Amino acid sequence: MSMPAATIDAPAAPAAPTAVGRPEIVLKSSEFRKGRAEGWLELERLVTRVERHGIRGLSLDELQRLPILYRAALSSLSVARTIVLDRNLLLYLETLSVRAFLAVYGPRANPLTGLRAFFGQELPAAVRSARWHILVAALTLFLGVIVGFMLTVQDETWFNSFVPSGLGGGRGPSSTRADLYDKEIFAPWPGLVESFGLFAGVLFNHNTLIGILTFGLGMGVGIPTIMLTLYQGLPIGAFVALHYNRDLTIDFLGWLAIHGVTEIGGLILFAAGGLVIAEKMLFPGRYSRLENLAMHGRLAGQMAVGAVIMLFAAAFLEGGCRQLVASTPLRFVIGFGVGALWLAYFSLAGRGARR
Amino acid sequence: MTLAHDRTSDFLEGARRERRQIVTPEGVPLSVELADYGERLVAFAIDLFVWLVMIIALLIALVSAIGVSGGSLLAISLGLFIGFMVRNLYFVGFELAWRGATPGKRLVGLRVIDRAGGPLQPSAVVARNLTREIETFLPLGVLLTAGKSATGAVDWSNLGIALWMLLFAALPFINRDRMRGGDLLAGTLVISLPKRVLSGDLVERKAKYFFTDAQLRAYGAFELQVLEELLRRQVTPDSMRLLAEVCDKICRRIEWTTPIAPADILPFLREFYTAERAFLEHEQLFGKTRADKHAKPGGD
Repeated sequence: MSMPAATIDAPAAPAAPTAVGRPEIVLKSSEFRKGRAEGWLELERLVTRVERHGIRGLSLDELQRLPILYRAALSSLSVARTIVLDRNLLLYLETLSVRAFLAVYGPRANPLTGLRAFFGQELPAAVRSARWHILVAALTLFLGVIVGFMLTVQDETWFNSFVPSGLGGGRGPSSTRADLYDKEIFAPWPGLVESFGLFAGVLFNHNTLIGILTFGLGMGVGIPTIMLTLYQGLPIGAFVALHYNRDLTIDFLGWLAIHGVTEIGGLILFAAGGLVIAEKMLFPGRYSRLENLAMHGRLAGQMAVGAVIMLFAAAFLEGGCRQLVASTPLRFVIGFGVGALWLAYFSLAGRGARR
Repeated sequence: MTLAHDRTSDFLEGARRERRQIVTPEGVPLSVELADYGERLVAFAIDLFVWLVMIIALLIALVSAIGVSGGSLLAISLGLFIGFMVRNLYFVGFELAWRGATPGKRLVGLRVIDRAGGPLQPSAVVARNLTREIETFLPLGVLLTAGKSATGAVDWSNLGIALWMLLFAALPFINRDRMRGGDLLAGTLVISLPKRVLSGDLVERKAKYFFTDAQLRAYGAFELQVLEELLRRQVTPDSMRLLAEVCDKICRRIEWTTPIAPADILPFLREFYTAERAFLEHEQLFGKTRADKHAKPGGD
C-alpha cells in the first residue's frame, strides 16, 4: 500500500486539506458511532428507568420504542464487534445490550401471577409428570413399613433399633396398653397455646430432616434416596407392630392417619424428587448430565417445594388438631379427607391449562 | 473481541472476569460476567439483614398484640411461621418484581438470568428461591433445634446434616458456573452487571503527524486498547509521567526520530492512536486481524 494508512478511510473525493496540508482522518467506526449513539443513549435512559421503576414506569410510546431500540443496539453490537476497536464503545454496547435484554425479556408476571401460575399449574404438573417416581418411592417406603412390622411383631426388642430414642418419646417394648391409650392416642388436648407451640417442634423433627436428605442425596445417583426411604418406613412399621401386639391397631392408625397421610405424602414427594434428580443424572440421554439436570431439575425443585408445603400442613394437623379430635373414625375421616384433597389437587389442578 | 477486552483488563487492573455466553432469542451471542463469590455473599448478607429486621419487627408487633411472653412456645412457632413466609415471599417477590434482583443484589449490581438466554420464567424464580429453603434454612433450623431439644438422638441426624450441608454449601465452589443448588435446578445464572458509561470518541480529526504503514504495523489490537485506556484516564502528573514513558517507547519502536516536546505528548499519542486504530480497523475489514504486536504481520 502506498497510500498513507491514516487516509484510507477518507471519502472518495479527498477531503479539504487542513492547515498543515494533511487530509482529515475519517474512521468508519467513528462515523458508525456518530450515527447511532443517539439511539443507544435513549435506550440506556429507558432501561435505567425500567430497572428503577419497572416496565410500568414507561409511557405507551416509550414502551413501543424499547424493543426497537433494543434490536437496533443488538445489531450495532454485532457490527461493532467486527469493525470497531474502541474498547470503551465495545464494553458499553455489551453491557447495554445485556441490560436491555433483561429489561425486554424480564419476568412479565407480577409476583402474584407468578405464584398463582406456580401453584395453579406448574407444581401439580410437575408432580403428575413424576408419577412413576412417586410410585417407586411409595413402594419403597411401604416395603420399609412391612419389614419394620414383621420384625417387631415377633420380637419387640427390634423396636429400639428402628426407632431413634428422640422419636420414641418414652414409648417402647415396656409400654403397657393403658400407657399408650391414655398418654399417646387419647392424650388430652394441651390447649391452644401449647398445641400451636408443638407445631414448631413437629415441623423440624427427625422425619423432616430425613425427608430433605432423601431429596438432597438424589445427587448421589439415587441409592441413598432409596435406602433412606426404606429406613423411614422401619419406625412406622415398628410403631404399628407395638400397637398391634397391644390390640390398639385401629386406634393407632387413626391417630397416625390424621397427620400421617399428609406427612408421609410429603416424604414420598421428597424421595420422588430425589429419584427424578438421580434419573436425570444417570440417564442423560443425548444431553450432558448438567444440561439434562437443568432441563428437568426444575421439576424436582418444584416437587420439593410441594413436599415442604405438605410437611407444613402435616405439622399443623399434628400439633394443632390431632389431640383435639378424640375420636378414631373422625381422625380417619380428616386424615384421608385431607389426603384426598392433596390427591385431587395434584392430579386435577391446572390440567386444562397449557404449560 | 471478548478476548481482547479481558487481556486489557487483566493487564491494567490485574483482574479477570469469568465470562459466559448466552444467546438472545434474536440469535445474538452476549457475553455476561459471572458474579464473584464475594459479591454474592455481600448481596446475601444485605438481604439476610433486611428480612431478619422485617421478621423481628413483625414478630414483636404480633406478640405484643396477642400478649404472650416472648420466650413461650407460641412465640417461637409464630416466629418460625412468620420467618418461613417472609423470607420466601421476600426473595420470590423481589426477583419477580425487579426482574431478577433483590435489594441486596441490586446494591451490589447482580442479576439472575436464564442460563440459556431465554426469558426468566416465574417458575424458575420460584423454584430457585424455594429450594433455598430446602438447601439452607430448613437444615439450619434442624441444626438449631436439634442442638437444643435432643436428648440423645443427635448422632445420626447430626452426621447427616453435616454431610448434607457440606454437599450443598460447597456447590457453588465446585462447578464452573458458580451455581448453587437452586440455580442448578432452575437453570439460572447469577451475573454481575456493572454500569458503564459511553465516553467520548478519542479520535483526533486534525492530523498533524504522519505515520507510515510500516510504523503502524508495529502494534496490534491489544496495545491499541491499552493505549486507549491510558488516554482515557484523568490527567494527573502521575498519568502524564506514564504517558511520557509510553510515548518514548512507541517512538523507539516505530523509529520516530523527531523529538516530542512534553506539551505535545498528549496530542501526539492521540493522533498515533487515531492513525493506528484507522489502520487496524481497515486491516480487520479485510480479514487481517492483528491481536497484538507479536502476531505475524498481515494475518492471524
